[in-house]
Amino acid sequence: MEVSPRYLAGRSFLGRRDPRVLIGVPALTVVVAAQVEDLRVMAALVVIAFAYYASARIPLREVRSNWTFVLVFVLIMAGINGIIVGAQASATSDDNATLATIPLIGVPVTIGSISYATNLTLRFLAIAATGFPLAFSIRPGDLAVAFARLGLPSRFAYGIDLTFKFLPSTAASLAETIAAQRLRGYEPPPTHNPIKKVLQLRPLMVPVTVNSFIDAEDVVDALDLRGFGTQKRTWLRQLRFGAVDYLVVGFFLLLALLATTASLTGRMPALWIF
Amino acid sequence: MSTATATERRNRTPWIVSSRTIVFGAIGAALYGALGVLSFIIPGTANVAIRPAIAIIPFVGARFGPIAGFFTGAVGNALVDQIQGFGFLTYWNWSLANGFIGLVTGLIAFYTPEPKKTGAQILRVALIAFVAVIVGLLFTATDLLLGNTFEYWFFGAYIPAVISTSIAVVIIAPVLDQAWKPLQNLAGR
Repeated sequence: MEVSPRYLAGRSFLGRRDPRVLIGVPALTVVVAAQVEDLRVMAALVVIAFAYYASARIPLREVRSNWTFVLVFVLIMAGINGIIVGAQASATSDDNATLATIPLIGVPVTIGSISYATNLTLRFLAIAATGFPLAFSIRPGDLAVAFARLGLPSRFAYGIDLTFKFLPSTAASLAETIAAQRLRGYEPPPTHNPIKKVLQLRPLMVPVTVNSFIDAEDVVDALDLRGFGTQKRTWLRQLRFGAVDYLVVGFFLLLALLATTASLTGRMPALWIF
Repeated sequence: MSTATATERRNRTPWIVSSRTIVFGAIGAALYGALGVLSFIIPGTANVAIRPAIAIIPFVGARFGPIAGFFTGAVGNALVDQIQGFGFLTYWNWSLANGFIGLVTGLIAFYTPEPKKTGAQILRVALIAFVAVIVGLLFTATDLLLGNTFEYWFFGAYIPAVISTSIAVVIIAPVLDQAWKPLQNLAGR
């Protein structure tokens, strides 16, 4: 039962970066990708995003299943959505011959809709490529400090820290409860009925949840006794935003500014049909 | 006595952030992450998954307030994404939508009196959770900013998410609430 975040970046380029870089870059990528419609510009963004991803040196064997899930999800989403929207978005184009028509819904598949779907696919791939390093190249213990330094109130940042600390004990409690209930004869019969399936999970979910909240009372008391929240919180872990960090974030910030300016001034290239 | 209780109620606010808010929000998020392994796909559908752990969000919202509920939903969902490898913020709008489920549950529960009869209590929590799911998941309309159409978002994402989430919260959240109630009375909180 794998419920812990994995750190896979080691001493790679992104592994040595300030965690705020790993939070900022995906956010800026979303800003850029959401505004780009020209396939050629999007392709350039994907190259940049994957170069960023490659600099984390995350072993493919460790994240193969994650990438498979993302690819299937992106292709289904871009395939269905892109073709339907693309047919409308490119309807006014002169060289937009219908190649086929989707049965039942009668939506025409055109070169324009394929261009649009490809653009949408690349958009989500770019976002995923910059999102992966945030999942695998940041130490779980650094996430709360990074959010606190980004301006999140320290009590909530500590809450994120606490969540990661609770995770292993909660997972262990779940494993124990499953074993204990099995010893008592808990072996739900297989069913395809989703409501029955949810009902069958009650003997696992209720004790794990209730016990966790009872144990949490002790943590509340411990925090209260230590005067939690009464003074400004300091963090043992110090983060240093170095020159390279500024360069990386500055580059993506520049892209976001360019894309936004181009959109606001009407200079952003429209849908490009190949 | 009754005047003191009325004054106490007037002075209460759902927006208090105490150590309890943070700890219970955090434990809720961790539970959401850990119990996320109990998810399953609805047979016959392509990718509509039921995540029973999502019922923890309205439970935390109803029992520990809207801030704790919001924290559980937003951080819990982001945590699941982080564990699955998509990154803490990649689906930021879905995380916030989950957070809003907890927030709305907490607010409605705060301003609606708890009935005395057990059956009515169960119905109240189930109804609040259902309304909170419908309202909270509306925030996923921000998917439109990423190029999705309204039709795709509404029929392909929002409606399946409301259905799958509602099944889990309407069944599990009242059970959790009823299991916790005597313990809460025992602790005098």
